[in-house]
Amino acid sequence: MAPRRGLPRSLWSALFHRWTWRMAWRDSRSQRMRLAVFSMAIVSGIAALVSIHSLKSSMEDGIQGQAKALLGSDLMVSSRQAFKPEEEKSLTAGAIRVSHEAAFSSMLSFPANGSARLVQVRGLDGSYPFYGTVRTTPADAWARFRQEPGILVEPALLEQFSAKIGDKLKLGAKELPILGVVNKAPPRSNRFSGFAPEVYTGIDQVEGMGLLGGSSLSMRALHLELPATVDSKKRKESLRQNYPESSWRLETPDDRQETVGEALDRFQQFLGIIGLASLVLGAIGVAGAIHAHIARRVPVVAVLRCLGCPGNLAFGIYLAQAVALGLLGALLGAALGIGLHMGVLAAFRGSFPITVEIAPQWAVVARTTSAGFLVCCGFALLPLLRIRNISPAATLREGATVSGGRAAGWRAWPVYLLLVGALVLLARLNDPEGIRPYVLVAGLAAAFAVLFGVAKALMFLTRRLVRRSWPYLIRQGISNLHRPRSQTTLFLLSMGLGTFLLVTILLARNLLQEKLHAPDAAESPNVYLIDVQPDQITGVQDLLKKQNLPVLESAPMVTMRIASVRGVAVTELAKTDKIPRWLARREFRSTYRDYLNPTETISAGAWSKSIAGPDDPVPVSLEEKMAEDLGVKVGDAMSLDVQGVTVNAKITSLRHVDWSRFNLNFFMVFPPGALEGAPGFTVVTTKVPDSGSSGALQRELVGAFPNVSAIDLTQILETVREILSQISLVVTVLAGFTVLAGIPILVGTLLNGRDMRLRESVLLRTLGASSRQVRTILLVEFTALGVLSSLTGLVLAVAANAGLAVKVFKAGPWPDGWLLAGAFVAASGVAVIGGLLLSRGVSRHPPLEILRGGA
Amino acid sequence: MPILEIRDLRKTYRSASHELTVLHGVSLTLDEGDTCAIIGPSGSGKTTLLGLCAGLDDATSGSVKLGGQALEKMSQDERAALRNQLVGFVFQSFQLIPTLTAVENVLVPLELQGMSGRERDAEELLAQVGLEKRLDHYPLQLSGGEQQRVALARAFIHRPRILFADEPTGNLDADTSGPIVEMLLRLNREAGTALVLVTHDPALAARARRVVRMGGGTIIGEEEHASR
Ligand SMILES: Nc1ncnc2c1ncn2[C@@H]1O[C@H](COP(=O)(O)OP(=O)(O)OP(=O)(O)O)[C@@H](O)[C@H]1O
Ligand SMILES: [Mg+2]
Repeated sequence: MAPRRGLPRSLWSALFHRWTWRMAWRDSRSQRMRLAVFSMAIVSGIAALVSIHSLKSSMEDGIQGQAKALLGSDLMVSSRQAFKPEEEKSLTAGAIRVSHEAAFSSMLSFPANGSARLVQVRGLDGSYPFYGTVRTTPADAWARFRQEPGILVEPALLEQFSAKIGDKLKLGAKELPILGVVNKAPPRSNRFSGFAPEVYTGIDQVEGMGLLGGSSLSMRALHLELPATVDSKKRKESLRQNYPESSWRLETPDDRQETVGEALDRFQQFLGIIGLASLVLGAIGVAGAIHAHIARRVPVVAVLRCLGCPGNLAFGIYLAQAVALGLLGALLGAALGIGLHMGVLAAFRGSFPITVEIAPQWAVVARTTSAGFLVCCGFALLPLLRIRNISPAATLREGATVSGGRAAGWRAWPVYLLLVGALVLLARLNDPEGIRPYVLVAGLAAAFAVLFGVAKALMFLTRRLVRRSWPYLIRQGISNLHRPRSQTTLFLLSMGLGTFLLVTILLARNLLQEKLHAPDAAESPNVYLIDVQPDQITGVQDLLKKQNLPVLESAPMVTMRIASVRGVAVTELAKTDKIPRWLARREFRSTYRDYLNPTETISAGAWSKSIAGPDDPVPVSLEEKMAEDLGVKVGDAMSLDVQGVTVNAKITSLRHVDWSRFNLNFFMVFPPGALEGAPGFTVVTTKVPDSGSSGALQRELVGAFPNVSAIDLTQILETVREILSQISLVVTVLAGFTVLAGIPILVGTLLNGRDMRLRESVLLRTLGASSRQVRTILLVEFTALGVLSSLTGLVLAVAANAGLAVKVFKAGPWPDGWLLAGAFVAASGVAVIGGLLLSRGVSRHPPLEILRGGA
Repeated sequence: MPILEIRDLRKTYRSASHELTVLHGVSLTLDEGDTCAIIGPSGSGKTTLLGLCAGLDDATSGSVKLGGQALEKMSQDERAALRNQLVGFVFQSFQLIPTLTAVENVLVPLELQGMSGRERDAEELLAQVGLEKRLDHYPLQLSGGEQQRVALARAFIHRPRILFADEPTGNLDADTSGPIVEMLLRLNREAGTALVLVTHDPALAARARRVVRMGGGTIIGEEEHASR
């Protein structure tokens, strides 16, 4: 007989067939409350994703803006000569605000007691700095010095002079009153020669002094604030091209980021981890909900199969259901996410020192919602695929389940691959560089595999372990772990992965915080003592000890210039723009030693501890960014002009330097034996608790070692610390938010298992079990599951933390024990509470309702 | 031509630790329009046999031919399509889809054939089993006997050539089961649908032309009533 034209057999046409959707709609009828729970998983997952990524992008912008405080403007142009009017006109074209600066070095003296000190005098006008704050005592001093004659000084200088606000200081021929003290200074105008303390006065005072002249120690600068639409790096490039002959120094905020660059990098990576983790959390919630839903629909699918429904069609019905709900959930989730994003911004607006705009980030919302929807659908496919395994024979006997064991079989592999691909893609969106996204996804996959293995092992063990002699309630609870329809695997996967992800985020947050507070660490110096002669080293160190200050580092220093690179003179290279001009002009302070300090790591070549022969080129290790600017690699030759003597060197290694710690770091490091003969001095670093003790130290030094100068970094450090503490606050908010968003998802997965146990518990009730007995059985089961899954999750998190700490953050691998203990209690607690909630449901529902409605 | 042909059918259930052979070589042939009752003690393999005949499960060995087509050579989906054309099934535990109303449950086999707009046929059938007032009720709102009558209507709607019924009256009292038995036999008489009934009820078994007795996984006896 001719086959009748039935419903479509292929999944594709099934999905576009009306009947599929009609059946999907009808099948949802009495299930809508439950399906709403499923949608809640998507809603909360997408909401978390959207809000985290939106917050992330709002704050990224804000943090990037903060880094501008390191320069104080969008573009700074400085020159040894005064700018010609037409030059100034074209340089400042299009700028919103401009400040002029004239600066020079001069002796500043305190006539009252005759003390004097070399300072960098900065004459300013306008409202510089445009970014970042300056704090003074009295508070209005920073505004006043531009209107009335007077001078602002650093607190250490005041201390050193034993002067007070209002006293008169002598600068050249002029006497100026001290208007105030700068507690947090603006960025230094020259980051390299900034050894002398800076003092500030109005630009007209400076111009009237006649000290500027053509002296090589004077400098003119223009500070520009540019409209947001102008890219300062591009502006710098075009100015370079328009004025090829000029010897101006052009700086953008990027050029000053080295001190916070590392922290910003880590911050980005942390955001990447949070983004991926929040996505996976949502996806776990979805997969768990779909799994529970499918488990309930087994009898229906079996009947449909029995009545002649093709496997693809049955699959199509539930896929259609999942897709429709997924879309709905995604839209709701996106809306909720936008709301949360704005809410958090509004609530924290006061506490963020960065300015963030309270507006939805539509591009981010669209991108994360669609990505989240796709990944959630992908995860939903895993349980959905099992539909194809439901045998029509399940209609013959009560209580049949999806045939276990083979699960979705080989059909699941393409889905797994697809999922891994999608996750890698997403991880790369967050963090496009290098292998990190792959490592993240591989870590996730490994965690998944471990949890799966633990679940299987648990089921295997409990099957063997349970003895008849155990008390009935315990035996029952433990046996539930391996029985048909047990939720062990699902529970361990969702709860374990959830614990793993959340704890990893918290641990990574701690690592990042440690990094962000590095400048506060005891071993990070804030005062450099330079020009210490060889015979003064012990004397200086003793003086520090006497003042109860630590000697942190002590390094020899030799100044030099680069003469040629690979045989070509640097002046030639700079003329043709092969290397940045400052490299050719700059005087480098280099050191020699045979060890690496804790903030350095070798990134190429090998560290050489000694020189080979007297006629061989001297090995040198370059900082990697400088090597990049010079266009050199390991093995290249360069020659150096060490105060008139030419030294031939060969690059044997490149170093990555973490500049954020303010340790004594150098662009060039030589092995001992190469530079001992050259004239040089020693630098000693220490850490002072406050600027008062810095002033006292400087006063003592001037007396004992007049040639030694102290460079006080506390002012610069203050700006860095401020930026870092802002990042730190953002990190805490984001981590806290992710954890808060993750907990409802985990509780949701807990409740998924509810139906499976509810019916059984009600049966026990009808057989005469007291609600206490039912509760005990459930508690035993849930406690065992909760303890094991949170333990496994924690072990995985500790492993992930060790990897992150050692590979990324260069920190010790062991996490905070209290955090782990707290997380363990919380995670197991959630599971136990889940069990209790379930048993409450048992006594609330009339047994008949459940016995009739079950299946 | 026989509608059902079973040859040397064996079924063994395997689990991790156990192996249980439930059917030891069952052979049976049923002609079009014939009626056959299968009786036997609990656990003798009746439900298993019925499931294998309808292609709901795979036999361990042996062959089943349904409407001339060998089930063991067909894929799950091909078997499903064949059931949809030839087979009606009535289960001991009704197996209605809980989220569909009575009418919708009855219509599913036709919808699976791609037909729509046959609500009148379904309503007529339900009226025949006395449920004309319960068309839009869900299974949960129906009693056991009412649910079984809906299941019966679902098994008839697509005019199957063979109908398997696993203890169709096992859950019902005599007063309720009477009309159901009558309906089954009327279908056989009027539409020529072959019937295979598994039952513990001697009265019902006696109304079939052939009675097959099973025990310990094989056929241990057979009676035929030459004429009815
Ligand atoms: N999945 C299975 N695994 C193992 N054994 C099974 C399985 N399904 C059924 N059996 C066994 O097969 C045997 C036959 O079962 P079947 O349901 O066919 O019996 P039956 O004759 O229909 O009994 P009843 O009259 O009680 O319905 C029983 O002993 C049963 O325990
Ligand atoms: Mg049976």
